[in-house]
Amino acid sequence: MGVVIELRNVTYSYPLADKPAIKDVSLKVEEGKFYGVIGKNGSGKTTLCSIIRGFAPSFFKGELEGEVLLYGKPMSEYDQGELALHMGYVFQNPFNQISGVKETVFEEVAFGLENFGVPVEEIEERVMDIMKLTKIDHLAEQHPFELSGGQQQRLALASILVLEPDIMVIDEPTSQLDPEGTESVFEIISQLKKARKTVILVEHKVDLIAEYADEIFVLNDGELIKSGDKHDVLTDVSLLDHGVQLPQMAVLGHRLRKRGLNLDYIPITEKEAKDVIGRLIYREAQ
Amino acid sequence: MWAEKLRIRKNNVIADLYPLTKLWIAALYALCVLILGTMKIDGYPVYMMAAFLVVPILALLSGIFKKFLNVYKGIFTLCLFILVVQALLIKSEEIVWGFKLFGNFTINVYKGGLQKGLDLSFNIMNIASILAWFFQTTENKELVYALEKKGMSPKASYVFLSTLQMIKVLQHNSRVIMNAQQARGVETEGNLFVRARAFLPSMVPLIMGSIANTEERVLTLESKGFSVKCKKTHIFDVVPSGNERTAMIIAVTITILVVVWRVLAWVL
Ligand SMILES: Nc1ncnc2c1ncn2[C@@H]1O[C@H](COP(=O)(O)OP(=O)(O)O)[C@@H](O)[C@H]1O
Ligand SMILES: [Mg+2]
Repeated sequence: MGVVIELRNVTYSYPLADKPAIKDVSLKVEEGKFYGVIGKNGSGKTTLCSIIRGFAPSFFKGELEGEVLLYGKPMSEYDQGELALHMGYVFQNPFNQISGVKETVFEEVAFGLENFGVPVEEIEERVMDIMKLTKIDHLAEQHPFELSGGQQQRLALASILVLEPDIMVIDEPTSQLDPEGTESVFEIISQLKKARKTVILVEHKVDLIAEYADEIFVLNDGELIKSGDKHDVLTDVSLLDHGVQLPQMAVLGHRLRKRGLNLDYIPITEKEAKDVIGRLIYREAQ
Repeated sequence: MWAEKLRIRKNNVIADLYPLTKLWIAALYALCVLILGTMKIDGYPVYMMAAFLVVPILALLSGIFKKFLNVYKGIFTLCLFILVVQALLIKSEEIVWGFKLFGNFTINVYKGGLQKGLDLSFNIMNIASILAWFFQTTENKELVYALEKKGMSPKASYVFLSTLQMIKVLQHNSRVIMNAQQARGVETEGNLFVRARAFLPSMVPLIMGSIANTEERVLTLESKGFSVKCKKTHIFDVVPSGNERTAMIIAVTITILVVVWRVLAWVL
């Protein structure tokens, strides 16, 4: 699989900041993979997303050392329009992502396509499809500001997905949502995975990351302290020292091992836990 | 199908005219009013005063009379106030009307003041009411997209439309915050001073919230290709109703007649 994004020794400081928000980070993002980004508050997750999307330094200014490559070409050589077509970006607060100039959900979703000058018939078709996918088609005629938080975040996702970007950067999409809203957003995110989009997702709910991600980046104080396959990362107890939570099942697995139970591996999802324990019981029974 | 659905159709021939045509009509009316205002009888702008009847009739014909009347009341009150103030305060030689209040304190209405007051108040009334007619028969987005088609920058449309929507949202938010303040025991009802004291702290979170969010808003627009330089599509379209030519011919003809009348009155 091809590398779509690469960071080489990237250090980035916001203007006037006394220390860098991202320090010497090198990473590769491969096509079609799903990446989870974790780390405690202020560890630089959002900043990393801004760098990957090209907002930092072009919008935020500040100083960037090292190289950021998109499809092998330096980020600075792309213009904003191209970037918008390659990469979708969904923010934390759904309310702020509503354009504020459209009176129906349908038009709100269509906004991006209008900006790119897509013909009306094609817009209608694509908007209808995306609204079905994100389950907001029944809200098409409602005013965007009248939706619930969960519905607004699905609208935010829809209005970016409709542009059909190859890469989606999603920053804590559920932090403002109740469990029900969270679930509805993750349903969409799982669709992205099925569609083999490249996804970079910042999410506090590590159990959900364990479920969906392929690989994980762990940030601490602006440094990439661990990255790689989700099983390797999410079972690493040393991360607990950096304020990173591990999935409940991984914690359970470690405890069971400590008690002397012979688990063949540390599970990170419920399904894996059932598997592991099932096999354990089977072995014991023999 | 959505393009059809979003189209704004009004079931009234005048209200349904293209926004820019209505804007032209309003501008020509304002021009006529100004011209008529220069023709005076005994120093009073009688013709211009008579013209004030035109807009209510236009509103009636446009099928918005009730809505119009609400705004008109406000305009009328304001103009009446201006008239009274001017008539009483601007002194001139001739007193039109004077009456004794008590002792030898008299209130005088001076001719010069009355003339100036009528001039100003009827000018304001005429122009404010034609604008009221225009905005009541035209939705904001119709006007904005019609202007954008004429070459106005999409950024200007955005600022205009989002500001109007934001005002609505802020009103809603401030009501929410006020209710919260009230629930915490802060007095939000009562006289002006009490209300101001409650209002100011309630504005702080509101304004801070709006400022803190602009960064995300800008980047979201960027993510949706707002600044891409290409011809934008508009699903929402403003289209002429077909009666624009007739309407313009009528409006221009009336304007020409007014001009001719003015010139004749001048020459003869
Ligand atoms: N726009 C900004 N300007 C200056 N400093 C910022 C800005 N955004 C974040 N920072 C700083 O950069 C560091 C990393 O923040 P952030 O990337 O938002 O972390 P996270 O998303 O993991 O919570 C923090 O120390 C934060 O204060
Ligand atoms: Mg963040």
